[in-house]
Amino acid sequence: MSVLKIKQETLTAWVSELIKKTCLYAVQAKADKFDFELLEDAHALRLDYDVSNIPPKKYFQPPVEELLRFNEQEFKTTVDDSPFVLFGVHPYDVNAISQMDKLFALGNKDVHYLTRRQNSTIVACDVENASQNVFSGCLGFATADEGFDILLTKINGGYLVDSRTEKGQALLKHLPAAAEKATAADLEERETVWQNNIKLLQKHKLKARPEAVTAALDKAYNNPLWEERAARCFSCGSCNLVCPTCYCFDVQDDVNWDLKSGLRYRCWDGCMLQDFATVAGDHNFRKNKADRYRHRYYRKGKYVPEKIGVFSCVGCGRCISACVTHIANPVEVFNKIMEDV
Amino acid sequence: MSKPRVAIFDFACCEGCQLQIVNLEEEILNVLDVIQPVEWREAMSEQSEEYDIAIVEGSITRAEDEERIKTIRKQAKILIALGACATIGGLNKLKNLFPLDDVKEAVYGKHAHMPHLNTAATKAVDEVVRVDYYVHGCPIDKREFTYILRCLVLGKKPVIPSYPVCVECKKNGNICRFEYNEICLGPITRAGCGAKCPSNGAWCFGCRGLVDDPNVNAAQDVMDTYGKTVDDLKAKIMLFNIQQEQADG
Repeated sequence: MSVLKIKQETLTAWVSELIKKTCLYAVQAKADKFDFELLEDAHALRLDYDVSNIPPKKYFQPPVEELLRFNEQEFKTTVDDSPFVLFGVHPYDVNAISQMDKLFALGNKDVHYLTRRQNSTIVACDVENASQNVFSGCLGFATADEGFDILLTKINGGYLVDSRTEKGQALLKHLPAAAEKATAADLEERETVWQNNIKLLQKHKLKARPEAVTAALDKAYNNPLWEERAARCFSCGSCNLVCPTCYCFDVQDDVNWDLKSGLRYRCWDGCMLQDFATVAGDHNFRKNKADRYRHRYYRKGKYVPEKIGVFSCVGCGRCISACVTHIANPVEVFNKIMEDV
Repeated sequence: MSKPRVAIFDFACCEGCQLQIVNLEEEILNVLDVIQPVEWREAMSEQSEEYDIAIVEGSITRAEDEERIKTIRKQAKILIALGACATIGGLNKLKNLFPLDDVKEAVYGKHAHMPHLNTAATKAVDEVVRVDYYVHGCPIDKREFTYILRCLVLGKKPVIPSYPVCVECKKNGNICRFEYNEICLGPITRAGCGAKCPSNGAWCFGCRGLVDDPNVNAAQDVMDTYGKTVDDLKAKIMLFNIQQEQADG
């Protein structure tokens, strides 16, 4: 599958066609920021965005999601298999989705997540404008080589369209006109975009490779910084909820008025929340803010990497922006524990 | 299973939370399938002294109210505080910031000293008697009220969030109010409302009361960052959240 080159007008016309044919969620302006929403007008597409307010995980794991319906005799699993296209996903988010794909398939396969994922087509887009807190370049997540169906890259005179899968090819059938193939010079320009993005997406600089963070965490469990920084923590979970690699959820039941039938749903949860680790008998095994705060960084830097072999912070910087007390910058935390080793 | 007998009582309040129950409209029929209302001044004429569940709206502001709520507590197997006036004292507690005589004169003018207008410092219901369940908010959320009701009829403990409003705000995809340089009480206020105010362009006013372990020190610390003062923060908090004592009775 060769890389194509299309002009901006062609891109807009193509997206207009896709809107007619499929359910397309794309990044759009939201006040003075950006977010993924259902796209109704191709002109509202903003591939020049810096970062979306909420990561695209919300389409695979909605904030509140029905799992099953039950009555006194039986239950029926609720599965949403409606196809959709996610358009304009940045490489750090593509990397995050790839991690979620692994995690939700481990052990008991999560049919809700995996069904949505199977029915989705991801059109990725290389970053055109760096957000103020992005640091994915320090972690190897400024670019993505897999985990998408099509990759768009803006170069002089238009976009390069790199389709890697059958789902990608299916979307390209809706291109309004035959597109020209990218030249060797175009591909070289794309290579330059990638190299530049690795450098540009380092608004915070990690002092060493992510593997060094994992090693440092082995010796950081009793570091006083957890207590110091957590003193300012609201336990509001904002860092969890805007994180593309936080996927924890809480499961609850609600009954109908017949008091016999009802539904089970899950909703986003977060390890920073006070009751996250509360179990039967009201025992809470991470009662202190500092314990919860430490746990989050161990998840990103050690626990999940040990499970799936990839560093589990993709450097999108959303947590840094979302934390009103300014304690959630992973780079500050990781640099400090590496210094203290 | 016989339906539990439910009485709804009001104390000092605007009765807007009871109105939210009336506003259930068609769903009221479902409510009547699972409970039997025996007293509810806003919606029926009958009265009763025999009830299993007492739903209490409003705050306690007079000596005779204290006696009345104690009688209700003795009679009810389960007592539910309904709405901010009952759960945390709410707006009514603003009164406690001023000398009582000044407050009475401001409201009643020359009649301020008539005996039937004799009032005391405002208390939330749980400052006078033990409360079993809380339906938070000003006004209450209808969906949450019906959920709690169904749980109680089933003998199940309702799950009320202990986390802050920020959680629901993020689920709704809102941009944080602090980004607009506003003081929002979301980080210290109990969720469960679905972050209604921040989702509709306002900051959180804190009507559901503080979370169990609010980091008020952190809230004070961040004021500098956003070019605000601790007094700005206090002015926001005191609208709904003037300190209260828990009763053990």
